[in-house]
Amino acid sequence: MPATTKTNFQLVSNGILNENPIFRLALSMCPAVGISTTVMNGLMLGIAVLFVQVFSSCTIAAIKNYIHPRIRIPTYTLTIATWVTVIDLVLAAYVPAAYKEMGIFVKLIVAFAIITMRLETFACKNTVSASFWDGIGMGFGFMFGMVALGFVRELLGMGTLLGYDVLGFRPLLFFVLPAAGFFCVGIMMAVFNYVEIVYNRKKRAR
Amino acid sequence: MKQIIRITVGLTISCLIAALVMGSVFVITDKAKRHNEHVNVQQTMLGLLGYSTSHPAPPELKLYSIYRYIFTDGNVNTLGYVLPVLKGGGVGYQLMEMDLDGGFVAQHPLDLAPEDASESAERSAALRKAIKPPKTFSYADATIVAKLGEKRLAYLLPGEFPGFKTFIHVMLALDPSFEILGLEITEQEEDPGLGAEIKQDYFKNQFKGKSFKKIKELHVVKEPLPEEYKAYLESQKGKESPIPKAELDVIRSRYQDRDIYALTGATISSKAVTDGVKNMVAKFAYRINRLDKVISARNIPAVF
Repeated sequence: MPATTKTNFQLVSNGILNENPIFRLALSMCPAVGISTTVMNGLMLGIAVLFVQVFSSCTIAAIKNYIHPRIRIPTYTLTIATWVTVIDLVLAAYVPAAYKEMGIFVKLIVAFAIITMRLETFACKNTVSASFWDGIGMGFGFMFGMVALGFVRELLGMGTLLGYDVLGFRPLLFFVLPAAGFFCVGIMMAVFNYVEIVYNRKKRAR
Repeated sequence: MKQIIRITVGLTISCLIAALVMGSVFVITDKAKRHNEHVNVQQTMLGLLGYSTSHPAPPELKLYSIYRYIFTDGNVNTLGYVLPVLKGGGVGYQLMEMDLDGGFVAQHPLDLAPEDASESAERSAALRKAIKPPKTFSYADATIVAKLGEKRLAYLLPGEFPGFKTFIHVMLALDPSFEILGLEITEQEEDPGLGAEIKQDYFKNQFKGKSFKKIKELHVVKEPLPEEYKAYLESQKGKESPIPKAELDVIRSRYQDRDIYALTGATISSKAVTDGVKNMVAKFAYRINRLDKVISARNIPAVF
């Protein structure tokens, strides 16, 4: 893939819609299935991923000319791990309230496929500013996916939203269980793809 | 060959840079982090004793920590208690050794300032000075005794036990007759929406007010939590509740001696917490009774 010619806005919207990490790229499915049981969980993990993705993308874009091509993957992992550790430590030290909520999510991120994949396919071929906007797009795309999943699963599984009781009863506890994550991801992925097909058809007809 | 060397050097350099970054961030943030953890623990403890920012703890409230160590000398195990004692008008620390049957073995003065006692490294250093080399020691647990004026207000027990996934860390508050004053889940990684509900008021407050006698035979029942009981449990945080106080007392007395209602879809987590708490209380009651006996028999000037 040559250096991108997209504008910053296109880079961001690309991450959220065309190449949404969860619904289009189908990457980082473990958290999508495992963690997205509530809106809050999805949001927290989304924020954590956003930060790590932006920082790692910028770092790799900045040092891309010095990385030996044979050791690029270990370097990516190292970069991500470093940023995760730094964010974890800084949150724990200076923002204890946020750390209490986000602490366990931040530590999970090292192994996320989406971040490594973005570094490999985008950051190592593009400028720092393009990588920054791509990181923002991917981060928000991931957050959007997680929150959407969390919304459905929390509402159907526990009858609450963000911890507030909205339905007053628990429709189907099954939706909170890990297995339901697969169903939710699959169905939402289908919806996402269907909407795009319809949209493209309309565009062509015009 | 040239390739290999370049790769090795490249990887080493990247690792070193990463280590440098992480190390320096750690050094910069470590103090603030530990301070936060300390504040967090303090808040949890005061919260369990019923104090909050709107209802602050009185200045007479003192928290004393007792640390329990296990000493090994060959194949003989003894228990070592690091106790806060009166020392020249202030508070100092002293090591008291006890055999497994509750008999007194020895006591040693410890070179440990009260403000350093909460650091495990400082305690280890002081212990190393006090006991002779073939004997080794390992840390077992800590107990915090809350004292209001001259009388013991509560015992605070930090503890951990296996949950459904990993260890669940809790802080338990007991009154001097070993009735549970409160339970706080400090760390857990149970499934969100299922086991993680153990930290919700409607589960953890079920333990509140259980008597020592009841705790010994506490079970988990797989029945739905009654609505009125749930409303009562969720009203327990000093918040204004819509239920009048007289009614709350009725509900409390009705459910006082019931077993613990399991969480829907998380019976194992519920059972783990119940058994863990049961265990902690039983062991602690046994230990503190023995400790108190030795302390009064030996006239140790313990402050707690």
